[in-house]
Amino acid sequence: MKYLSLIVSLILSVGLAFLISRPIDSVPPLAGLLDPNHGFWQNTLSEDQIAEKEIDLDNLSAPVKVIYDEDLIPHVFAENELDLYRAQGYITAQHRLWQMEFQTHAAAGRISEIVGPAAIELDRMNRRKGLAFGAEKGLAGMSSEPEIEAILEAFSDGVNQYIDGLTDATLPVEYKILNYRPEHWTPYKSALLLKYMADMLMGDSDLQFSNLRKILGEEMVNKLFPYFPKDNDPVIEAERIWDFDPIQVQSPDTTVYPNDLLVMDPLPQPEPGIGSNNWAVSGSKTKSGRPILANDPHLSLNLPSIWYSMQLTTPNHSVKGATLPGAIGVISGFNENIAWGVTNATKDARDWYKITFKDESRTQYKYGDEWRDTEFRIEEIKVKGEDAFIDTVVYTHYGPVVYDKSFRSDRQDVNFSLKWTAHEESQEVKTFILMNKAKNHDDYNDALDNYIAPPQNFVFAAKDGDIAMRIQGKFPVKWEGQGRFFMDGADPLMDWQAYIPFDQNASTLNPERGFVSSANQHPVDPSYPYFVWDRSYEHYRNRRLNNELRRMDDITVDDMKALQFDDYYLHAAEALPVILDLLDEEKFNSDVAKKYLQELKSWDFYADPNQKAPTLFYIWWDKIDDQIWKEWYEWEALVTTPNNYQMVELLKNEPQGEIFDHKNTSETETAATHVNAGFAELVETMSEWESEEGDYSWANYKRTSVRHLVPQFESFSVTNIYTGGGRGILNATSERHGASWRMVVELGETPNAYGIYPGGQSGNPGSRFYSNMISRWSKGEYIDFSLRSLDDTQGALFTTTFN
Amino acid sequence: MKFIGLTFLVILVVGIINPFFPFWVVMIFIAIVSAFIGLPAFVSFLAGALGMGLVWVGQSFYLSIYSGSDLPQKMAELIGVGSGMTLVAITGVLGFIIGGLSAWTGSAFRKVFTPAPDNIYRG
Repeated sequence: MKYLSLIVSLILSVGLAFLISRPIDSVPPLAGLLDPNHGFWQNTLSEDQIAEKEIDLDNLSAPVKVIYDEDLIPHVFAENELDLYRAQGYITAQHRLWQMEFQTHAAAGRISEIVGPAAIELDRMNRRKGLAFGAEKGLAGMSSEPEIEAILEAFSDGVNQYIDGLTDATLPVEYKILNYRPEHWTPYKSALLLKYMADMLMGDSDLQFSNLRKILGEEMVNKLFPYFPKDNDPVIEAERIWDFDPIQVQSPDTTVYPNDLLVMDPLPQPEPGIGSNNWAVSGSKTKSGRPILANDPHLSLNLPSIWYSMQLTTPNHSVKGATLPGAIGVISGFNENIAWGVTNATKDARDWYKITFKDESRTQYKYGDEWRDTEFRIEEIKVKGEDAFIDTVVYTHYGPVVYDKSFRSDRQDVNFSLKWTAHEESQEVKTFILMNKAKNHDDYNDALDNYIAPPQNFVFAAKDGDIAMRIQGKFPVKWEGQGRFFMDGADPLMDWQAYIPFDQNASTLNPERGFVSSANQHPVDPSYPYFVWDRSYEHYRNRRLNNELRRMDDITVDDMKALQFDDYYLHAAEALPVILDLLDEEKFNSDVAKKYLQELKSWDFYADPNQKAPTLFYIWWDKIDDQIWKEWYEWEALVTTPNNYQMVELLKNEPQGEIFDHKNTSETETAATHVNAGFAELVETMSEWESEEGDYSWANYKRTSVRHLVPQFESFSVTNIYTGGGRGILNATSERHGASWRMVVELGETPNAYGIYPGGQSGNPGSRFYSNMISRWSKGEYIDFSLRSLDDTQGALFTTTFN
Repeated sequence: MKFIGLTFLVILVVGIINPFFPFWVVMIFIAIVSAFIGLPAFVSFLAGALGMGLVWVGQSFYLSIYSGSDLPQKMAELIGVGSGMTLVAITGVLGFIIGGLSAWTGSAFRKVFTPAPDNIYRG
């Protein structure tokens, strides 16, 4: 009997211990999760509740002091740069470790290791795009300079000292839920992070355009997608004189493109209409007589936030602004002397080449008269709970053969190689290290000379009064039309033959008009001597921004804040009169149709959160688009449709045009047909929506949300945020994208700076600093971002000293 | 009296050992304490269960209140079990079972190695 009791109790105890310390399917070990001393309960503590006055940090040459302000923004005071970046690594990891690692795992194609076979396709895609390949090259570039390498090592060491000090209790909650542990950080991961950003910001539509060319012919493509719009208001002012001799490249005598109709899934593209704004106004236009700079990069609205704010100070410089967790230094910010900011400068930096292999073995491919050797890169994708997945990616001199018989083109015998500047050796880290301590326009240019990808419009303002803009990146010299369609990789004239020298990249310093600005529009006027083209240039934010800046005088910091939060819907202002004109109002007699029409007609074109008309216009326009391009959407091969600006032009200027007629119907459709059908659909959809959801004011309809990086972690997201704006609007806040960081800086004896981002400093969903800035952000409010000095501990949350 | 004593000892063991060691080390210590006290199986189970269950409920409840965090609520939604307080209860039940089984095992262990008194009926 007594033995039986022991055996039964022992089996039950051991069995229980075993059961709760192992994952069951996707459920993590229960003990690790629920134990109040080690599980998620420990993650309920906010950073100020577990603050330490002193932290041991090895390899420092002198103590580093950190003052946290009331929003948990660390102000780091170090005696030299190596100490500074070591501390940056430690502190960033303290607050963002899981995110840093997850993003670099994504870029490296390693998500399957964490979540299992569901992510294999995603991992294959990221590896086939060559992000890890690019990061290896990037690292080679960074490591070629010992000073940069030492900084990267110091940063990694800081991160790793934090990782080594982690306990079960302090482990970020995502690791507990997904049941894995962090690995050591390396400089390679810092390089991967930059590729993650490059990938987020760069796209191409070569596949869609190749299909359009095949279906419509090149002439029609040129008409629907002109190189420059009628109202071009470029980044670099149109009056700029280009006084250099451009490099010439040879174009093929007869441009023969591969003529395949490509029925395959393209790579995911950056969201249309996302982008960024930045500008600087010179002292001649401001009330204080000092230059003011503003920047708001629009990205996917994520939690933990893409950005992490810091002040980084040594005896020689003091810089503050937004950092990217995992990258060195401040990415968009200011110091005592200058301020700078970034917007994406798309310029078709990604091209596709059709590869002609000699035989099935794919070891050689045709290039001109010769056969060149390929290289094979074996990608081993580790999969949680399963055997590793082995993918073989063939590389030509162009880059990886992304689409082949085993990926995305199962039914077609095609091979396409991707050429992309993100695959090249680069020194982006050096750019930001130098920019952080730049004192003037020359320093800014020196810093930018190291920058390759992703191309950015770097805005600049300095205490001495200079304002500037430079479009920096490595851009191939292209013959007219090069890179719009998939090209023949066997023809050397289709290859990139040269790069634009950095001193011929478009730039401007102190232009006459008293401001510089960029909003992802065309970079230049047609007078720029190089061929410039991209499918995704902005046509609305830029004109609204420049019109306002031209109009304004005696500008204050508050004016610039208001402009970042400006909800004026220029696209609607231009399109609505045209479509109202085409609408046959007699046909719509119902009360609800009349109500909608009345609301649209009395609208002031501001997409404020409480307005109803933006919702009506947005849906109506969407329905018109569906109607006009119905046939295109039904084609088996994927294509792209003309942008909103060109659509308005077509509706306005040739409403009877052939483009509006659907070929497979007996009637002849015109613009009016689609506009009226679209309105009928609007009335139907909207009344249904109204009866189900109620109030259709813009914020309620748009439902802006900031989502956790793991889509399944719904409760870690913040949804239904009451805020205005939208695509093509300066306040570019749409459903899932928008101003991921807003900064306004007035230079002067001491810079006067403000910033905000939709999230919080902490990456811990249990912390009170996880999403605490979102409500202020949604109302267009800012927090004081002024530089803090070492002895200024007023209003500090807590201070920590690293020894 | 001994029941309260054992419960109290288990509370001490969990309170002192658990912050530094994982739950299975705590299980071993509870078993040792329970073997040392030597109560009958069922009484030991109850004392161990009550002791550890109380500490886990107390700790998780205290952390929720002290931190003011909405993480328990978020976790509850993620797991699909109602509210943060439900998670406090689930944590308590888990502690209850772990503590109970450990104490029972300790008591049973002692029984095996305590020689039963011989010849008690023969006088």
